[in-house]
Amino acid sequence: MHAAIQIDRVHVDYPVAGQTARSVLNGISLQIESGEFVAVVGETGCGKSTLLRLILGEEKPTRGRVLVNSFERSQPDRHCGYVPQKYSLFPDKTVLDNVTFGPEVSEFGAWSVLRRVYSKRMRGFREEALRYLRHTGLDESDARKYPHQLSGGMQQRVAIAQALMMKPPILLMDEAFSALDPGTRTGMQRLIKTLWRESGTTIVFVTHNTREAVCLGTRIIALAKDGDGNRGSSVALDLAVPHLDFDSDEGDIAGLIRTVESATVRERPLVYN
Amino acid sequence: MSFLRIHAQPGRTAVWTLSWFLFAAGIVVYFYVAEQRHRENPDDRVMPTISQMVRGFSDAALKPAEEEETQTGGGSSIVARFRASMLWKDTLASGRRFVISVALLFPAVLLGLHMAMFPVIGAFFLRFILFFDKIVALSLLPILFIAFGIDELSKIMLIVIGVAPTIILDTFNLSKSVPREQVVKGFTLGASDFSITYRIVFKQIWPRVLNSIRLNLKAVMLFLFAGEMIASTDGLAYRIALLRRHMGMDIIIPYVLWVALLLFLVDFGMNKLNHKLHPWFEER
Repeated sequence: MHAAIQIDRVHVDYPVAGQTARSVLNGISLQIESGEFVAVVGETGCGKSTLLRLILGEEKPTRGRVLVNSFERSQPDRHCGYVPQKYSLFPDKTVLDNVTFGPEVSEFGAWSVLRRVYSKRMRGFREEALRYLRHTGLDESDARKYPHQLSGGMQQRVAIAQALMMKPPILLMDEAFSALDPGTRTGMQRLIKTLWRESGTTIVFVTHNTREAVCLGTRIIALAKDGDGNRGSSVALDLAVPHLDFDSDEGDIAGLIRTVESATVRERPLVYN
Repeated sequence: MSFLRIHAQPGRTAVWTLSWFLFAAGIVVYFYVAEQRHRENPDDRVMPTISQMVRGFSDAALKPAEEEETQTGGGSSIVARFRASMLWKDTLASGRRFVISVALLFPAVLLGLHMAMFPVIGAFFLRFILFFDKIVALSLLPILFIAFGIDELSKIMLIVIGVAPTIILDTFNLSKSVPREQVVKGFTLGASDFSITYRIVFKQIWPRVLNSIRLNLKAVMLFLFAGEMIASTDGLAYRIALLRRHMGMDIIIPYVLWVALLLFLVDFGMNKLNHKLHPWFEER
């Protein structure tokens, strides 16, 4: 295993007009190995999504550095797949076109249809996309639909298939299941865990749901605000967890949830690794 | 009075009746007042009766235009007579200017899109376009006539200058309103800047841009009419301005209705096309 993501003494401050800058992340250092399933938890506003955007390359740290596969990223690219909470899919494209969009645009660029081998390659992409869709529990009739014709859970299944189709070494999920009802959410959690086991992709999964984090992650990172909160957040807990499943002993799950939840409100960091 | 409440649910017939009521009332009131005026003064030219308007419009639509009269002497079929008529000649002249002007709005759409997507282009143009948008286009008319002469170019420039800033800013705002997640998603799927601009953002905003152009069609016509009324030798507005001197209300009113009908048909066609080309858009 090698470090897929390295976060080195990262500070993120946001300027506030007429006041001192607001600190969001306060000197965070992390190393995420290839193939890990890391769940990031913390209270609202503690910088979970900021951390994800840093890894994605969408945001730059004020100080410190973020390396993905040993390189600093200047903008998001295909090394990191991304599944946000909403606006995952392109509304003007059918489900199938959403899933084939990545390979198509990577290979042919903006003016794809003008290329001679386009039709042949697209047939291949469509077949592969259908395999991914079937794997995520969707069928061919769903492939012809537009995103607005699908339920929230189905949309997120498509978003996962869309991201996995690019075979990214890292998959970043930002509250990806937060908007789903409990039943659908459990189904999606099982799906992502299965896909992770099969693909070996490194997953960073941001959630505010501790139970979800405990049941999914092989490692849990809890962020908590330092002191009165003005100094930003730091890592309050970095915990390797045993492989729990959704039907694991409720006592084990409850114990872990208590540990994680108590860490997210601690003032001093507690590192268990 | 429950039918006036927010929760009122008028039936199909009620909606149909209500939506046509003002049309019917307008027509009835007009012809009643016109009839009264003609009873008092049979030579009244301000409010022509229906028979006068039908006669005036059929003359405009079926009699050869003055310059054609000597050449063709008028054809036999209705289509041939219509194509030789004053109304057809005027419609063609205005239509040509209208189509060229609308086509020239497409570069404005592309500029708005690029301003939103590429910060450097946005920084370069935005402040200038915001200022330019505040200039009253009609006040530029004398300058345009001096700069470009009184032929076609000045009239088309007037339309473009009048409507383009609105379209640029509207496209800019629409492009900016596409969620950032979609752009990030595009990058993570391996798309380049141009792929994201054209294949993600442009395709999503295009139906709304078409709606924006539809809403601005009336402004296009307004500037077209202003140009034609002041400096032209053909076109629908030129004819209306000419007939005004002779108080030819029997032709002016049908001409005004003809222009409204044409504009309605263009708008209707664009709307239908928008639905057809973008089934995902209206259903959402």
